[in-house]
Amino acid sequence: MDASLLNIQPTASEPIYRQIVEQLRRLIASGQLAPGELLPSVRDVAGFHAINPMTVSRAYGIAESEGLLERLRGKGMAVAQHARRPRPQSERLALLQPALEALARQAGELELPAHQVLDRLRVLLEK
Amino acid sequence: MNAHAVSTASASAPLLVRGLHKQFMGRVVLDGIDLKLARGSVLGLLGRNGAGKTTLLDSLLGLTRPDAGEVRVFGEPAGALTDAVKQRIAYVAQQPAGFEWMSAGQWLALMAGSYPRWNQPRADGLLARWQLRVETPLVQLSPGERQRLELVRALAVHADLLVLDEPAARLDPTARRELLRELVFDALDEGTSVILSSHLVGDLERIASDIALLHDGHLLLRGELDTLKECHARVLLPAAAEPLPGELARRRLEGGGVSVVIARVPGQPWPPQLQAWHAQPQMLGLEDLFVEVTS
Repeated sequence: MDASLLNIQPTASEPIYRQIVEQLRRLIASGQLAPGELLPSVRDVAGFHAINPMTVSRAYGIAESEGLLERLRGKGMAVAQHARRPRPQSERLALLQPALEALARQAGELELPAHQVLDRLRVLLEK
Repeated sequence: MNAHAVSTASASAPLLVRGLHKQFMGRVVLDGIDLKLARGSVLGLLGRNGAGKTTLLDSLLGLTRPDAGEVRVFGEPAGALTDAVKQRIAYVAQQPAGFEWMSAGQWLALMAGSYPRWNQPRADGLLARWQLRVETPLVQLSPGERQRLELVRALAVHADLLVLDEPAARLDPTARRELLRELVFDALDEGTSVILSSHLVGDLERIASDIALLHDGHLLLRGELDTLKECHARVLLPAAAEPLPGELARRRLEGGGVSVVIARVPGQPWPPQLQAWHAQPQMLGLEDLFVEVTS
């Protein structure tokens, strides 16, 4: 993988380390980064984007602890062999929680009865 | 200096500021500044024009004597630094001046002689990449060239503490990126601590590990950049909304309502009052945060 593939927006409200983790998550989930593929070194990423290397280290560390990346001795970071293994259901459900909370809040703001919202949601889910 | 003194000095924080006060002609510029800089950290100093950033930087280096408070650089009082500590510091002023009769090369040679860790290959490389000619008399350099030359000097001395006042204001985007790279790799590889003041907020967001925002004589915001971004938000509320916990700024909006900037403790939720107002916290980039809390 080339360091330039990461899209860094320093002025965004999202801290750079999170931007990197999210992009790695998406690139790996979509298969654009295959298991075993080597990541650019912290130095290369920091140098290309003129960002603080500690930020890149932090992102790589989080991605490693989440099982997205693994450290290969003497080679640096690579996409984990099992990175695309389906996650347990509880974990996948947890990813949906913010969207569910937003839905519940908006339904409340629109003063919609819960059963009508759930009916619509069921139709969408069973499509 | 004996071995014990050396190890004590190198163990001291690069910079420690306690209760710094400074007035100019009855106007309070610094009103109780506390600041600590860790080894290898890059501190971005922000503030509006006239907020006192240069006064603060000057006080850190003992160039301005504070009315009260204490500054220690590598453990020594800023007003009485020994040569051993001075050699570990490089400062680039906003408008460098002096030595106008010398050529750029003569001036650099003079500097090289005063710093034991001078790195000539690095100086030569930067001179070439930043298109500076050593034959040019300093008096003939444009302000931008003079600033680039000062930056070459500051990077070539391999300082343990780099203090840069608006270093990038006159650099083109390519030279600026290169400067940022040099700074962060020095911080990483050599443990150099960097303080830079800049209005180029995007530059600070690239390389700063920490941010300090000077406003009305105080450090209004201070902390890790990532944490500041994660712990501040703007919410839109009805004009009658009670003050919120962690409220930093409030601004009336046209057509009623107020825009409020709130801070939360890292890892903690936003105040529960927001739900009653159906208010969604909007996360802010550093520039928006700056503008919201200083205007």
